[in-house]
Amino acid sequence: MNSIPILIVLLLTLYVGFAQLDQISVQLGFYSPLFAATVTGLLMGDVTMGLSIGASMQLMTLGVATYGGATVPDFLSGSIMGTAFAIMSGQGAEYGVALAVPIGLLLTQLDVFGRMANVVFQHRAERCAEKGDDKGVEFSNILGILPWTLTRMIPVFVGLFFGEAVVTAINEYIPAWLMSGLKYAGGLLPAMGIALLMRYLPMKKFFPYYIIGFVLMAFLPANFTILGVSLVGLALAAIYMSHSDSAGTAAAAAANNDLEVEIDE
Amino acid sequence: MSNPNTKLTKKDLQKVYIRNLFGLQWGWNYETMQGLGYCYVIMPILRRLYKNDPEKMKAALKTEIGYFNTSQPMSHLIVGTDAALQEELGIEEAKDAIIGVKTGLMGPFAGVGDTIFITIYRALVFSIAAYMAMSGQAVALLIPIVCGIAMLAIRYKFTFMGYEQGRKLASGLGGQLKRLTDAASVLGLTVVGALVPSVVKAPMNISIVIGDTNPINLQSMLDKIMPAALPLAIVLLSYWLLGKKKMTTVKLILILMVVGVGLGLLTTFFAPVA
Repeated sequence: MNSIPILIVLLLTLYVGFAQLDQISVQLGFYSPLFAATVTGLLMGDVTMGLSIGASMQLMTLGVATYGGATVPDFLSGSIMGTAFAIMSGQGAEYGVALAVPIGLLLTQLDVFGRMANVVFQHRAERCAEKGDDKGVEFSNILGILPWTLTRMIPVFVGLFFGEAVVTAINEYIPAWLMSGLKYAGGLLPAMGIALLMRYLPMKKFFPYYIIGFVLMAFLPANFTILGVSLVGLALAAIYMSHSDSAGTAAAAAANNDLEVEIDE
Repeated sequence: MSNPNTKLTKKDLQKVYIRNLFGLQWGWNYETMQGLGYCYVIMPILRRLYKNDPEKMKAALKTEIGYFNTSQPMSHLIVGTDAALQEELGIEEAKDAIIGVKTGLMGPFAGVGDTIFITIYRALVFSIAAYMAMSGQAVALLIPIVCGIAMLAIRYKFTFMGYEQGRKLASGLGGQLKRLTDAASVLGLTVVGALVPSVVKAPMNISIVIGDTNPINLQSMLDKIMPAALPLAIVLLSYWLLGKKKMTTVKLILILMVVGVGLGLLTTFFAPVA
């Protein structure tokens, strides 16, 4: 087993900083585990592995989003390191997922730290505002980029730089039975992403549509793809729209606010 | 004497749009959340209107740097409205209205925006992309990019809608928005239901031997009752657990890991003899 070439370590370190900025701004998708793992796979010469780990991590984290500034585990950095370690060690994609999850959980606190560090820049900006210094306020906001990116770039750099030692330690100290159990658990984790989405969507009001989607895919897997089910869903949504139109807006207003978002991160 | 600089141009709003896309959350902090970023976003407007008046600039900066937090795509509507108010009334007169609009709209907009642009957006865009990636199709990565670019266009439109409609926007769109959110939820939940059998993996290849009969494979037995019964059970269990008061996503991950390790060990110990 070889260590990761320093050039690739640096490229992935830059990538995680760039991806983090994508997450807090335009959200084109570079921040998603799907992209992060695939890009890691591409740089390390195994795109298929990257895609596979990325897909699993993505599905698990579907409902994990920072609503209103809540902190969530850093599955972006976790996916990069998990994919890199899986390719280095030659173990399967499940191995990568089994590593990416705990790494993401471990890094959770760094997000809190970064957001806290930005309070310093807020105070700096307030002092500038007091003096009418518009340029100073502007610059304070730009400085906020540093905590956001460094809290991701430093752990990814350290983790990948010492990757060989990390993987050796994992293989030596984690028994085989636990590792195979963790791999199986990787297959279950997407259940959390799905369950979170069900919590955020008005499940109690619209559960029949959930059943329709499930039945189409569970009983007719040979005839349906997820895109096919999406089209059925689109048709159902259009039917719902036209019906609620004729029923008037009173019913819609009465059914207001049944979204229950009650999950602590 | 009229000041030629006190009218906003299309270019000013475009600058605000670009800053809003990238910079709204750079300075995110626990004290004012997006407050610092918001002030950065609206800066081109303040410069245009108060460049030659340090007192007004100071007042405007202090007004705009305060607590603010909403869903990113929806923030464009608020910033646009704010710009219109600053232009029409000037900071002294507009101050209370601006604070009112910002604090009054950020809550409801966050609710609608998080539902449509985060929850449902992810349920569709990223689940389809991940589903395709599972079968090794790298082209799946284009889906979020294309949809993301479409989002940029929507956010551009929002900036100018906010500017033109001013405060009327919130009440005018309220009913429409609710119906649209509902219809989008119908679509979202249909897809979420379909995700269960396609992405949750819990195979139970265990053979059970009863007396002298041939061993029965537990998975094929389960399939006869209902396909994907175990994945559905695990999803419903997770859904139920998430409704519990003290449950967090981190705890749920740990629970699923433990359940998964347990099931995994079961399948290895009782693996069917080939």
